[in-house]
Amino acid sequence: MTLAFFWKTLIRESRGSRGRLVFFIACLSVGVAAVVSVAGLSASLDEGIRSEARQLLAADLAIEGRRPVPPDLDLAAVGLAGAERTDLQETVTVVAAPPRAIGQPGRSQLVELKVVNGTYPFYGKLVIEPRRPLRELLTPQTTVVASELLSRLGLRIGDGLRIGGQSFRIAGVVLSEPDRISISMTLGPRVFLSDEGFRRAGLAGYGSRIGHRTLLKVPAGFPLSGLDAAKERLQRTIPDPTFYSIETYREAQPALRESLGRVERFLGLVALLSLFVGGIGVAQSVRAWLASRLDSIAVLKCLGMRPREIFPLYLGQTALLGLAGSLVGIAAGAAVQLALPSLFPDLIPAELIRPWQPVALLRGLTLGVGVAVLFSLPPLSAVLRVPPARVLRREAEPLPGHRWVLVATGAALALGVWLMASIQARSWDLGARFTGGVAGATLVLSLAALLITRGVRRLPRESLRRPWLRHGVAALARPGATTLSAIVALGLGVLVVLGMSLVQRRLTEELSAELPKEAPSAFLIDIQPKQWPGVEKLIQEQGATRIQAVPVVMARIAAIDGRPVEELNRKARPEVHGEGGDREGGQHGEGSRRWALTREQRLTYMRTLPEDNQVVEGVLWGDPQRAEVSIEQEFARDLGLRLGSTIRFDVQGVPLELTVTSLRTVNWRTFGINFFLVVEPGVLEDAPQQWLAAFQLPRGTEQRVQDLLAASYPNVTLLRIREILDKIIQVMARIGLGIRFLGGFTVLAGIAILAGAISAGSVRRGREVALLKTLGMTRRTVLGTFAVEYALIGLVAALIGAAGGTLLSWGVLRRGFDLSWSFQPVPFTVAVVGAVVLAIAAGVAASLRAIERRPIEVLREG
Amino acid sequence: MILPMKTPTPQIPPRIELRELTRRLPSGDRLLTIVDRIDLRIEPGEFVAVLGPSGSGKSTLLALMAGLDRPTAGEVRIDGQAIQNLSEDQLAVLRRHKIGFVFQSFQLLTNLTARENVLLPIELLGQPDPVRRADELLAAVGLGDRGHHYPSQLSGGEQQRVALARAFAARPPILLADEPTGNLDGATGRRVLELLTELRRREGTTLVLVTHDPAVGALADRLIHLRDGQIEREEVPARAATALHAGERG
Repeated sequence: MTLAFFWKTLIRESRGSRGRLVFFIACLSVGVAAVVSVAGLSASLDEGIRSEARQLLAADLAIEGRRPVPPDLDLAAVGLAGAERTDLQETVTVVAAPPRAIGQPGRSQLVELKVVNGTYPFYGKLVIEPRRPLRELLTPQTTVVASELLSRLGLRIGDGLRIGGQSFRIAGVVLSEPDRISISMTLGPRVFLSDEGFRRAGLAGYGSRIGHRTLLKVPAGFPLSGLDAAKERLQRTIPDPTFYSIETYREAQPALRESLGRVERFLGLVALLSLFVGGIGVAQSVRAWLASRLDSIAVLKCLGMRPREIFPLYLGQTALLGLAGSLVGIAAGAAVQLALPSLFPDLIPAELIRPWQPVALLRGLTLGVGVAVLFSLPPLSAVLRVPPARVLRREAEPLPGHRWVLVATGAALALGVWLMASIQARSWDLGARFTGGVAGATLVLSLAALLITRGVRRLPRESLRRPWLRHGVAALARPGATTLSAIVALGLGVLVVLGMSLVQRRLTEELSAELPKEAPSAFLIDIQPKQWPGVEKLIQEQGATRIQAVPVVMARIAAIDGRPVEELNRKARPEVHGEGGDREGGQHGEGSRRWALTREQRLTYMRTLPEDNQVVEGVLWGDPQRAEVSIEQEFARDLGLRLGSTIRFDVQGVPLELTVTSLRTVNWRTFGINFFLVVEPGVLEDAPQQWLAAFQLPRGTEQRVQDLLAASYPNVTLLRIREILDKIIQVMARIGLGIRFLGGFTVLAGIAILAGAISAGSVRRGREVALLKTLGMTRRTVLGTFAVEYALIGLVAALIGAAGGTLLSWGVLRRGFDLSWSFQPVPFTVAVVGAVVLAIAAGVAASLRAIERRPIEVLREG
Repeated sequence: MILPMKTPTPQIPPRIELRELTRRLPSGDRLLTIVDRIDLRIEPGEFVAVLGPSGSGKSTLLALMAGLDRPTAGEVRIDGQAIQNLSEDQLAVLRRHKIGFVFQSFQLLTNLTARENVLLPIELLGQPDPVRRADELLAAVGLGDRGHHYPSQLSGGEQQRVALARAFAARPPILLADEPTGNLDGATGRRVLELLTELRRREGTTLVLVTHDPAVGALADRLIHLRDGQIEREEVPARAATALHAGERG
């Protein structure tokens, strides 16, 4: 058979089938729309970040570190001659409105402080009211603050603001900052200070947690490639390179894009699930379609077409249909993206949306056609078994099937699903786990659906008095795969939506709940040792209990077992985040090893360990000969430390050699103060240090305590656990919203399948309607009878799906988060009722045509 | 694909040869014998009609000859080649090259126009100038101007004439016809039959025609009467006998 003939036959064969395959396209396009929405939105954000990269960095090149960048750094030596330089310092502190009266401290607020020494920003717009450059507004006596701070503290431009105990005049209001991104989490409103102002505030002293950032702007005409070369040279020549991470605007916010990528991969899998559910519908449509083509296939075989020529003919047709469905899905996906900003106004900026992302569209197209082809393989293999003798005898038995066909189609399906999941997850391993999960869930749902329909078949239907109920039950029990796959598909949708919202609900509940009785509700950081007695007295007077305070000494690991950290570091894989990357985000292994090696370590010293610590190896402070350190077990593993290992620390320039004599486990969930590294008493007492305190405050007193502290100890920062947890809840709610939104696509795909199943049976249904009408039923009663049938299908699907979702939430919460779990009757009921209503609506809509036909038309057809 | 040929025998093998052909089908929990140890030789160019009441195994016999069905025992040989053990693919290729069909229910492909239905077997063989051949045949069956119609736009008789054109399209040496007039009224049926015999004569095709209508059978060179899956008797119809004798005299 020539290719031209193949195409000709393919197009001819597709003619009569187009109308029937509306549901094929519907099922597929829903999933493709979900995939394209996620990929497109992510690509839009990525593109937005890339195109705004200079503005987001506010510079061509930025050096970030926990230490100031040396002021005499030779820029010309690294090929950046003529570059402009601005040094920024960033820290978190508490500022306060002026005292209302004597003894009446002003209201205070945790803020993110930015200290600017030079031109800022080099790129992008810093919008300030009044419209004057920041440099002009900032003097040693003035500050510029976010409008949010003014409203929180009840202040106006021109009012005073106490920062670090010193008075500053508010000279302007920041309306927008180029490098502050709305989707990131922040701890408080922005406050700008000049370098001199910062020094005057006294916050620059030792111990403050200050982030340093040096912005560089290259002269006009500087070659782009020179930037990367300069970065490389800087990394080699900057003193103590492990303290700094260097980023050019050409890298476009690698850390931000990495976290967006993580969210995309996760949501991409949720979207893929709806595509897979659509795949069930595809398989079902193809099965129904083939059932109507059996005669044609038999004739083709009779005319001498080989089974292996007919199979690709039909596979080609599903691929073409897949293409059509994917194109519809792509258009729908683009429409969804355009609608997103109005659906989630404070989350997605409309100006960023570029719905026609070629890569996202291609992804939708590839996955759509892939799902169409893969999921139609099993039903299409029936082509091979169509008996040519059917042309003579309709009841001719099917040709014997080959076991290898079954194995091959099964294997192709499994491999294809794995491949697609891996594309979405960008990980073979995650792809495999996702595939396993989906396969498992589908299997369990199918078994449950099968058991229920079998069980219903055994019900004594005669005992049901109501004819419509009997009819509905009979329809559920009717043998055939169409209702079964509709039940599985709808069930999967309910499973995802309910399961994920139950998890989010419980996590939110956990985070919004009262903190554990013994857990601290606030932390104090940056307390100077001599301040502690006064601070302790102050918080005690305000009712603080369970006060815990420990000294903190900042140090850096210089060598382990005699090997310098630079050498160890070279062996560790570089991490996207560089220094300061968050530990939770980093994978275990080389990444966390590098993180542990390069970060500034916090050491403490104490005689006895807190209760939530447990020595699991070695003895605490048992060696009188050597200076000892006790290390948290996992941290030790990351660094490859064992009992007897020696660590050389650099404590503010003073070397200190410690021997590991015990390993501990720590229960971090108590929120107590804990350290990876605890040093025995008598070693660090004279080192420069600050104190860290944790305590419980009576509810409602946090603001007052912060106000009082801000008045007397302005360098001390109070962190409220409740506030931080609320921020986490906000972030979680956003992701949860995304999941539920995409999960909705899965439900939609399930509904499309149900409608498809009903419509595929429209001939039978038409005959049923005709008979029922002939027997004297009105259209309304017939519709009611059908509604009961669809309600029952929806009910079974929803019950199974909701049970699965509940089980999923149990698994995630109990196993994944180790949280208590309880059955949630309200969401369960809402999910079930919702699915039933949707099923009735879709079912009735799909059978309206059958109901409108006159009995005689149908009966005459025989 | 070229089928493996047996070493040529001195004399030309029969076009179709059935040896001890048996087909049993499960019916409930027992086996029903549909075709029972039939031996039959059909020579090239011969027109054989198979007659019998319904359920006598006529259609099954036809299906077995065409490799549409597989025998439980015995042999089917086409041009001397045993076909009962060929794969589905090999059988399809055999039909493509050697067998044309006409069915009681026409079996046109509903998605294809009349002309496309006729074109299909020619295109499958990759023969040159398929459209001309298709148009010729359509004209021969009197449907030269209806080629662009879909089967649903044609009457029963017209559909069967398209099926005839399709059956002869690839010039198969064998034509198998299953009750070709069964679904047609008398006059239409006669017209179709005339066309069938006319085309057969023109193309020199071996024809096996299954019917329960003795009048149709009367056109054949030889009549095979089936009953309960066995050949009850064979006869040469009077017309054919006359023609035969006339031939002998000539």
